[in-house]
Amino acid sequence: MTDLSPRTNPDLLGHGDVEREILETQASGRVGHAWLISGPRGVGKATLAYRFARHILAGRLDPPEGEGAMGCGLFGAEAAPVRIAPDAGLGMDPEHPVFRRVVAGSHGDLRVIERAVADEKTGRRKTEIVVGDVRDLAHFMGMTPSEGGWRVVIVDEAETMNRNAANALLKVLEEPPGRAMLLLVSHNPARLLPTIRSRCRRLQLGALGDDILEHLIARHLPELGPEDRRSLVALAEGSIGRAIDLAGQGGLDLCREVISMLGALPRLDVTRLHALGDKVARDDQAFSALAELFPWWLARMTRSGALGQAPAQVISGEAEVAARLLGAAPLDRWIEVWEKVGSLFERARAVHLDRKQTVLSAFLAVEQTLGRS
Amino acid sequence: MKLTIERTALLKSLGHVQSVVERRNTIPILSNVRMEATDRGVSLNATDMDLEIVESVAAQTAVPGSTTAPAHTLYDIVRKLPDGSQVELAYDGGDGQLVLKAGRSRFSLACLPVEDFPAMSAGAFSHTFSLAAAELRGLIDRTRFAISTEETRYYLNGIFLHAADSDGLPVLRAVATDGHRLARAEVPLPEGAKDMPGIIIPRKTVAELRKLIDETGMDVTLALSDQKARFDFDDTRLTSKLIDGTFPDYERVIPTENDKVLEVDCKLFAQAVDRVSAISTEKSRAIKVTVDSGSLTLSASSPDAGSAVEEIEASYDSTAMDIGFNSRYLLDILGQVEGDAVRLTLADAASPTVVRDVADASAVYVLMPMRV
Repeated sequence: MTDLSPRTNPDLLGHGDVEREILETQASGRVGHAWLISGPRGVGKATLAYRFARHILAGRLDPPEGEGAMGCGLFGAEAAPVRIAPDAGLGMDPEHPVFRRVVAGSHGDLRVIERAVADEKTGRRKTEIVVGDVRDLAHFMGMTPSEGGWRVVIVDEAETMNRNAANALLKVLEEPPGRAMLLLVSHNPARLLPTIRSRCRRLQLGALGDDILEHLIARHLPELGPEDRRSLVALAEGSIGRAIDLAGQGGLDLCREVISMLGALPRLDVTRLHALGDKVARDDQAFSALAELFPWWLARMTRSGALGQAPAQVISGEAEVAARLLGAAPLDRWIEVWEKVGSLFERARAVHLDRKQTVLSAFLAVEQTLGRS
Repeated sequence: MKLTIERTALLKSLGHVQSVVERRNTIPILSNVRMEATDRGVSLNATDMDLEIVESVAAQTAVPGSTTAPAHTLYDIVRKLPDGSQVELAYDGGDGQLVLKAGRSRFSLACLPVEDFPAMSAGAFSHTFSLAAAELRGLIDRTRFAISTEETRYYLNGIFLHAADSDGLPVLRAVATDGHRLARAEVPLPEGAKDMPGIIIPRKTVAELRKLIDETGMDVTLALSDQKARFDFDDTRLTSKLIDGTFPDYERVIPTENDKVLEVDCKLFAQAVDRVSAISTEKSRAIKVTVDSGSLTLSASSPDAGSAVEEIEASYDSTAMDIGFNSRYLLDILGQVEGDAVRLTLADAASPTVVRDVADASAVYVLMPMRV
């Protein structure tokens, strides 16, 4: 699998319109000093932020001063009126010196703020961005740029900043120095301070289209067959990040397993349930996939019941299972089950509940709902 | 890349560059030193992204080229090699290993691609001039103790270097302050520094600069722009980012109306302050200075430690008064006075005091009093 981390990924598909919006703003000469890039998880928000950052760092934001200036070609030498080529984007050759240094983390004018690594061995990150992570910014912004152009700061998962970190960032956001750009990335901008939101220009990324997603899956997960690929597209809901995560965690198989076990209701196959419990107890990845998929599937089923539409098929045979469950109990019960299962997995993650027990309880909750009606 | 170099020369140069490299680095390439071999020798380059040191050393280059290798490891190896040995450095790019041979020792070090190494582009410098090392040292030494460490007022975290006018004479002036004290030193304006931009040299750069000055007796060439400063020594070139801010209008805080003049032997005064401060509390470090005609009394008292009084002779003929100072700040200033006597010009117990070296008019120190 290719490395898809936003720092190293040169490609971004499906957000051409957003990149054009950036270029048009740039052409109008009002780029501002802060952008908030929001949208669902795994659609390329951070990738876009890095592309934008590289674009700025390569000096492509300013019209080149003279011939031979770095980064001409996008706009040519003339200042106005600027015409943007239809296929123009923020792309850059991975061998470009700026790209190389951004990947190596050695670009003097780029700072990335993200949750710090709490455990060197497992690579597990802290749950929030703390003020210490942000404080270095004041120093960075207080110094002249190292390569003479702009200074760029990327705040990844900006919503994970705790209160103190957010206030420290606000300080910089309120009075940024000249030629400085802050790019905030957040899938949940509502959790940011309103004072931070109001100081940023919003850039909303939508979910990826199914065809783009299928294309991306084919590129990054070439080992998947066409049927699996289509299932994954439906499962990923427009997020390539989610598709790749689920594929890596064996999400497809898990999903089939869960649905076939739900299909056997009202009689739960206890042996299989225990086998599944044992599996996720051992395997971190499988557990996080299940914690994601189980509540998601219940939510989807309930929603389709409420809308009166047959749910889209992710796995063959899924629709019948969903229809049968919906028929067996009223909708409000299913909402309760969804809430219960969701909070169960959430708690299991937060306070390390016994995983096998969590899985058993989740299935039993579904079984009870059926039994009661 | 392939070259042979004398161990002592390599050690000296590595010593300079590796001091910039932070011990703990989250970004791997920043732990490395960039080496570039040309026909003229080899240049070593290390950076912490705020400042960069490039060192040129004579070497016999067999194959020109460049790579980066871990700075501290390399320094450690070269340090332990026997004196007088010839070191061979070779990098063929194939397996990403730098091979170091000296006598019967052979080391293989992991390299990182040279393209990943930070590039601190100097850009164009608007002003270039030379300054005797001793003069630059004087400017730094007499001001650096007053540099603020407070992050919020980042524009005080360095020495403000600018061209100024001192009683009609053009001077190159260095100023540092932390809000409690201020130090200002000047030297005659070197040729080429006229209309230079006022720059704030960051604390870390000041420290590195100071180390390099000690090792050279030659002139230092400064090149400045509003974004960068470059200092050229014999074989060493230090390039630094600057603090991007506006230094406050310090002239306003240097009092000119102070009329009470106290002159005292600097050494005696410093020793007395040091002794009496043993009593003052760790936190405030306050001592009281009582001046009366012909004498000066230092006192300190703390509820825990007790009290101390010491009287020394001084020349003073104005009205008697009490004033409190932070003893550490006072000692910092007295430590910079090279002449025998120090002159304090006072107004009252709540106003800033001006301290000068009687023998040296080029430095002025301002100290805020404490309430005692």
